[in-house]
Amino acid sequence: MKLTVERIEKEEAVTVCCHDTEAAWVQNVREAALGQITVCGYKDNVLYRLRLSDIYYFEVVDGVSFFYTQKDVFTSKEKLYEFESMSARSALFRCSKSMILNADKIDYVRPSVSGRFEAVLSNGEIVIVSRKYVTELKKSLGI
Amino acid sequence: MKDILFWLRRFVMVYGIIMICTFFMCLFFNPTSELLVVSFFGRIIVFTLLGMVTLIVYHSKEELSPRAWWCRTILHLVVLEAVYLPLAHHWHFWYGKLDAVIYASFILAAKILWHLIDYGISARTVSEINEKIRKRRREQSKIVVG
Repeated sequence: MKLTVERIEKEEAVTVCCHDTEAAWVQNVREAALGQITVCGYKDNVLYRLRLSDIYYFEVVDGVSFFYTQKDVFTSKEKLYEFESMSARSALFRCSKSMILNADKIDYVRPSVSGRFEAVLSNGEIVIVSRKYVTELKKSLGI
Repeated sequence: MKDILFWLRRFVMVYGIIMICTFFMCLFFNPTSELLVVSFFGRIIVFTLLGMVTLIVYHSKEELSPRAWWCRTILHLVVLEAVYLPLAHHWHFWYGKLDAVIYASFILAAKILWHLIDYGISARTVSEINEKIRKRRREQSKIVVG
């Protein structure tokens, strides 16, 4: 395997050339790269920088956006489509009309009587994944 | 194209469920009935299309909560009964009050069957997803240990 590291002045970027995009080492590189992408969240009028990899899910309720981490909730000025484009090609995927979920934080998934899916996260929370968006989850897991 | 295939699959499922229910209804309550084949199949297609139109009850701008979903499901059942019973009566599929009760029971059974099949398909998808999550975890732990 060849490794090339190059110093540049423009926007930093990571490109991985691999045989299997779902290989474990590729996931590790992805997590490391995502760890460098940050978003701004507010809690008690204090501004915090949050790493994308620490976000469990992003939700819009009554026009207000929220980031959920393992134990905290932050408000955000990002709109759903803005956060969706920012987190494209990451483990974050659109799971319903108003939510974007981090696939890396899912412990397991179970079916629901309503034809949707319940994703149980590693912090114990349960999030609904709409049937329409389950293909996005499968894509982010490499299925 | 994906949407067309999605609705086509739904059409085939609903059509199949209606045919199965019709078969059992005739088997138990009118085994000697004779039907004009072409008009019968055409009427089942109409039933199927009407059944799919009633799914509009589930349409919502926001994601439905579990409680809202249950409310809409009960409403959908009521709408199905309200649509199918008069039309079936008009087409002489049932006559008296007892027939109506039996017919309404089969509509309820068909709806339950639909949800059971849906759940079964979801369960299969879930096992595929969970297997992939477990595989990723195993690979991650191998790298950490290595």
